[in-house]
Amino acid sequence: MEYQTVRTTCTYCGTGCGVLLEVLDGEVVGTLPQKDHPINEGKLCIKGWSAHEFIYADGRLTKPLIRKDGKLVEASWEEAVGLVAKKLLELKEKHGPDSLGCFSSAKCTNEENYLLQKIFRAVIGTNNVDHCARL
Amino acid sequence: MDKLKNHVKELLESGEIAGFLGLIDDGGHPVPYLFTKEHLDRLDAMVVPDFRYPMTDILLRIVRKYPEETIGVMVRGCDDRALVELAKNQRIFPELVRPVGIACTKEMAEACRCSQPYPREIHYGEKVEGVNDRSDLAAVESKPLDERLDYWMGQFSKCIKCYGCRNICSMCFCDQCTLEDETLIMTGQSPPEIPIFHLIRAFHMAGRCIDCGLCEEACPAHIPLRSLYRKVREDMADYFGYVTGMDESEKDPLEFLGSEGYEVPSKIDET
Amino acid sequence: MTNSVPELEDADCILITGSNTTSSHPLIASRIMKAKEKGAKVIVIDPRRTHIASLADIHVKQNLGSDVAWINGLMHIILKEGWQNQSFIDERTEGFEEVKKAVEGYTPEKVEEITGIPKETLREIAEIYAKSGASSIVYCMGITQHITGTDNVKSLANLAMLTGQIGRPSTGVNPLRGQNNVQGSTDMAAIPNKYPGYQDVTNEEIRKKFEKAWGGPLSPNVGLTVVEMINAIEEGKLKGLYILGENPLVSDPDSTHVEKALEDVEFLVVQDIFLTETAKKADVVLPGASFAEKDGTYTGTDRRFQKIRKAIEPLGEAKPDWEILCMVGKAMGSKGFDFPSPKEVFDELAELTPIYHGADYDRIEKEVIHWPCKDKDDPGSPYLHKDGFARGKGLFTPIEFKPPAELPDEEYPFQLTTGRLPFHYHTGTMTRVSPSLTHEVNEAYIELHPEDAKALDVKSGGRVRVSSRRGSIEVRVLVTTGINKGVAFIPFHFAEAAANRLTNAAALDPIAKIPEYKVCAIKIEKIDGREA
Ligand code: SF4
Ligand code: SF4
Ligand code: SF4
Ligand code: SF4
Ligand code: SF4
Repeated sequence: MEYQTVRTTCTYCGTGCGVLLEVLDGEVVGTLPQKDHPINEGKLCIKGWSAHEFIYADGRLTKPLIRKDGKLVEASWEEAVGLVAKKLLELKEKHGPDSLGCFSSAKCTNEENYLLQKIFRAVIGTNNVDHCARL
Repeated sequence: MDKLKNHVKELLESGEIAGFLGLIDDGGHPVPYLFTKEHLDRLDAMVVPDFRYPMTDILLRIVRKYPEETIGVMVRGCDDRALVELAKNQRIFPELVRPVGIACTKEMAEACRCSQPYPREIHYGEKVEGVNDRSDLAAVESKPLDERLDYWMGQFSKCIKCYGCRNICSMCFCDQCTLEDETLIMTGQSPPEIPIFHLIRAFHMAGRCIDCGLCEEACPAHIPLRSLYRKVREDMADYFGYVTGMDESEKDPLEFLGSEGYEVPSKIDET
Repeated sequence: MTNSVPELEDADCILITGSNTTSSHPLIASRIMKAKEKGAKVIVIDPRRTHIASLADIHVKQNLGSDVAWINGLMHIILKEGWQNQSFIDERTEGFEEVKKAVEGYTPEKVEEITGIPKETLREIAEIYAKSGASSIVYCMGITQHITGTDNVKSLANLAMLTGQIGRPSTGVNPLRGQNNVQGSTDMAAIPNKYPGYQDVTNEEIRKKFEKAWGGPLSPNVGLTVVEMINAIEEGKLKGLYILGENPLVSDPDSTHVEKALEDVEFLVVQDIFLTETAKKADVVLPGASFAEKDGTYTGTDRRFQKIRKAIEPLGEAKPDWEILCMVGKAMGSKGFDFPSPKEVFDELAELTPIYHGADYDRIEKEVIHWPCKDKDDPGSPYLHKDGFARGKGLFTPIEFKPPAELPDEEYPFQLTTGRLPFHYHTGTMTRVSPSLTHEVNEAYIELHPEDAKALDVKSGGRVRVSSRRGSIEVRVLVTTGINKGVAFIPFHFAEAAANRLTNAAALDPIAKIPEYKVCAIKIEKIDGREA
């Protein structure tokens, strides 16, 4: 019997409300508003209250996929990451760094955004880095 | 505080309870946590802050998964009243819940306008007398009837339909919530249809609300929900002589509203 | 935001435009409601009677895309009446005379003609905004998603400087960021012309610094934006694309065009938690982790650092996205991706990013820090421009009104605008699998004015086909007086009836390169007029 609450940040909008994810025996079972958070002070909107609901939704990807004969099939991490690295380097070699680009994510963390742009700027050598959040 | 920790420690060590639901310090922030025998050292970080999480609501989630275990829980006066009501509604078995009582400070009692700021049994804190302050209700009641309606409609029109008032409420334990019944309240609208959304909840809280105020604290629209439900609570006391959260053997006079076991309560017969 | 969220509560006047705050940023709306209870005047300028508009002291519906005109109009009135803050203008700004000249022609009569805002109301708004002790402007995509988006934002800045309503608590010009970490991803240079911390890729000195830190030569050229990359695929110039956690097939304007590009690109990698419409087009799909399964930081819309913490292990073989990116970096032979945890990534990025420099995981844990935070002793900056603007003096920019790129005509007689619902988020990949949220709404609809509905012979619940020059979708009708005649609104969360099949991707703001999602011309045809 293990129950704890993990202090984190709502993943939906830029307001950045403090939430507690309720974890019962290793499973997220609910969301509570963080009472002493400077922004939301113990309140949430409907999205925040249900921030945990999509975690176990059907359709979560749990394995890397590779397109083979036109179909996406499951693959190992080595194979998938190896293929990504190989193809990106190949295209860079053949068509130059500016033949590659990335869309980074306003849903991911600062650290992840930093790493993706670092791959494209430092390893590939292009500034074709943007995000879709002009929306 | 040490006395409290030792008490919990004994309960856990003796195996009297399988876990203790309290609050733990997490980087300067008190958060709900279930203390267990396996991690007794974590008791060092146990705290009793002057703000609250919905302990009995969390308790229900744990009880649902572990219906046979005895669980300890930190309760203030309001949480303890919630336990009484939850027992009446057969959501918990009182013999499987070990409340560890905290008395609220004078400041808290005043902020809550709480008539009973202490639980049945106190393990921590000094008991202070209840506050009898209905200035919030009096202020609304002093308005003429039409203004009173305008006042409440104005308040309800701010609602963003977060369901926070229901989600945080220990007395909102229904498996299917009427507020989500689309034949009664149109879905997809924010603000929700007023005043029906709020009146449905207010009716449901008659004979249930134990006046903890968590709903109002959770309301992003700053609607004085606690006053509203307190009014309902007062009416229940006036008309039926019934006050929630006091006695497990007492029946809710409005019980026929929700359950099948309809039985005319004796108090209605008398009046 | 120039100011922090809690400060809003103490403003005396809050001017909201192009933000349906109760829907998109409910907990910021909560502060605005609090401010109103404390006596603040709330003014909303929005083409729809949104929830926040219905709670405001003043709400006016401007014509779509007429924002520069009413902002210039406000400045015109303020100058005529002498309500400007002359000492602020003299001491803190430059370029005032040009703006003064530019707004001269924006008489209340002319502005009423362009915007539809009655001149008396405009005067009232000007007076409240200029004369209140602390006035705060709040805006969102309704201001930026126009060909004149940059103009709109600069105009709002002109207004704030003219009245000295900036650089103090509870004032400022406050854009609300749509997605949770738009602020952070932009700070982290998910933009083609900057390195982290808004440092120019074209500045040689800066480039040298990053070349040294990252150990290799860097490109001196500004890169392509999302829309330009899509076009470059069609031109055969862009061969490989890596998409992290985004679903451009639904979110981008003119999705028919995006769909073709994603099919045509030679190699497409998508890293996401769901098999989105976009991921289905990929050559390799990498399963990332949700916010509950990883550690890291977000930067809130008010420049505040926020931790996310791992609550559970990633599902199945999924991995935290930072870990996947490190794997890819390493597999490409780079040494710069050897990070044991996100904490060390943050240390590296803070080292290179002056506005983040003073922050670290320990501090973020204990303190509320808003960037800029230059060193370990710097408490951070809840509000900006306290003692001066970044460039020294605040620069006024004269702006002229320009109409939207696509105006209604005989063939496409309606104007369409798009937006969010309180129950869903962005393209819905997360919210549309959430039972509490889909219970509320799970279908797109179009809002129409009663007179338009009558002319089309449809009622609420009926179905219509909505078409623009780019595409066509079918939706249910919702009749409401909350919108002007001739204008229609569709929320954009629903892939099967994506509003962005209709919007005008070709019309970009020339500077911010943001497409004009908020106005385009459409036609509406009845399919089924009955009540549902
Ligand atoms: S709870 Fe609502 S307002 Fe707060 S961050 Fe989440 S989505 Fe935004
Ligand atoms: S409602 Fe009463 S018992 Fe509960 S916290 Fe407030 S003062 Fe204490
Ligand atoms: S008491 Fe009423 S409002 Fe509360 S959960 Fe039950 S049905 Fe819903
Ligand atoms: S005060 Fe509110 S939260 Fe507490 S029991 Fe009553 S209705 Fe529920
Ligand atoms: S908590 Fe307040 S805003 Fe949320 S549903 Fe209840 S009354 Fe409405």
